[in-house]
Amino acid sequence: MEKRERPIKVEANFREILPLLTRHKVRFIVIGGGAGIAYGLARTTYDVDVVYARDAENIRNLAAAFQARDPYLRGAPPGLPFRWDEATIRAGLNFTLTTTLGDVDFLGEVSGGGNYEQLLPFSKELDAYGVRCRFVTLEKLIQLKRAAGRPKDLEVIAELQALLEERRKLESNA
Amino acid sequence: MSEHNQNELPPLDEPVPADWYDPVIEAYKKDVDRTLLRENLKLTVDERFRKFESFMKAVQELRGIAWKNGNAQ
Repeated sequence: MEKRERPIKVEANFREILPLLTRHKVRFIVIGGGAGIAYGLARTTYDVDVVYARDAENIRNLAAAFQARDPYLRGAPPGLPFRWDEATIRAGLNFTLTTTLGDVDFLGEVSGGGNYEQLLPFSKELDAYGVRCRFVTLEKLIQLKRAAGRPKDLEVIAELQALLEERRKLESNA
Repeated sequence: MSEHNQNELPPLDEPVPADWYDPVIEAYKKDVDRTLLRENLKLTVDERFRKFESFMKAVQELRGIAWKNGNAQ
């Protein structure tokens, strides 16, 4: 019988990625499943999604933060001459990567939210893994999911809205 | 349903409010386990991430067991 391939290790490695970005002074906002978890979403997620600021200093810091983590384009055939450096980040915008720390999406812009500066008023600082980082607000997260328009997000939007209702109930009872 | 925002839609260049009433979303919402959400709301942000981590670890272990069993047959 043909042997099946060993299951790929998949995890959204917030434990290492959030402190790493913070140590390198990268300005970023966590969106996607990670932001959902921060607010109490009870779902799995397999990558870390962040929107990063596109100024020169931040691009330099982002390049340095992951240079030693073997970033590679997720889903691309092996062997491409991909380099994770300032030039690559400046020439591109949104990067979906595999790294030695797990899968991570670095987004310069996101549908329904725009770039880092546009998303900043709709974010808040929260503490996780001993570091303080920015997460998109629950309300904005729902809007981003809706703007993405993917059928797979319908369940997530329903859960996020339920979470919003539960939080509001708690706040009104406090 | 009364707690939902059912006002007129905002202009096209503005996103609809997060609590906008959408019958499709409402249909999905019936299957949401709110007890899990309420439990999570009692935790700190850090505790929520650690709970997620331990759940993902369990998923990974199950996937590994399933793989071993599949190859043993």
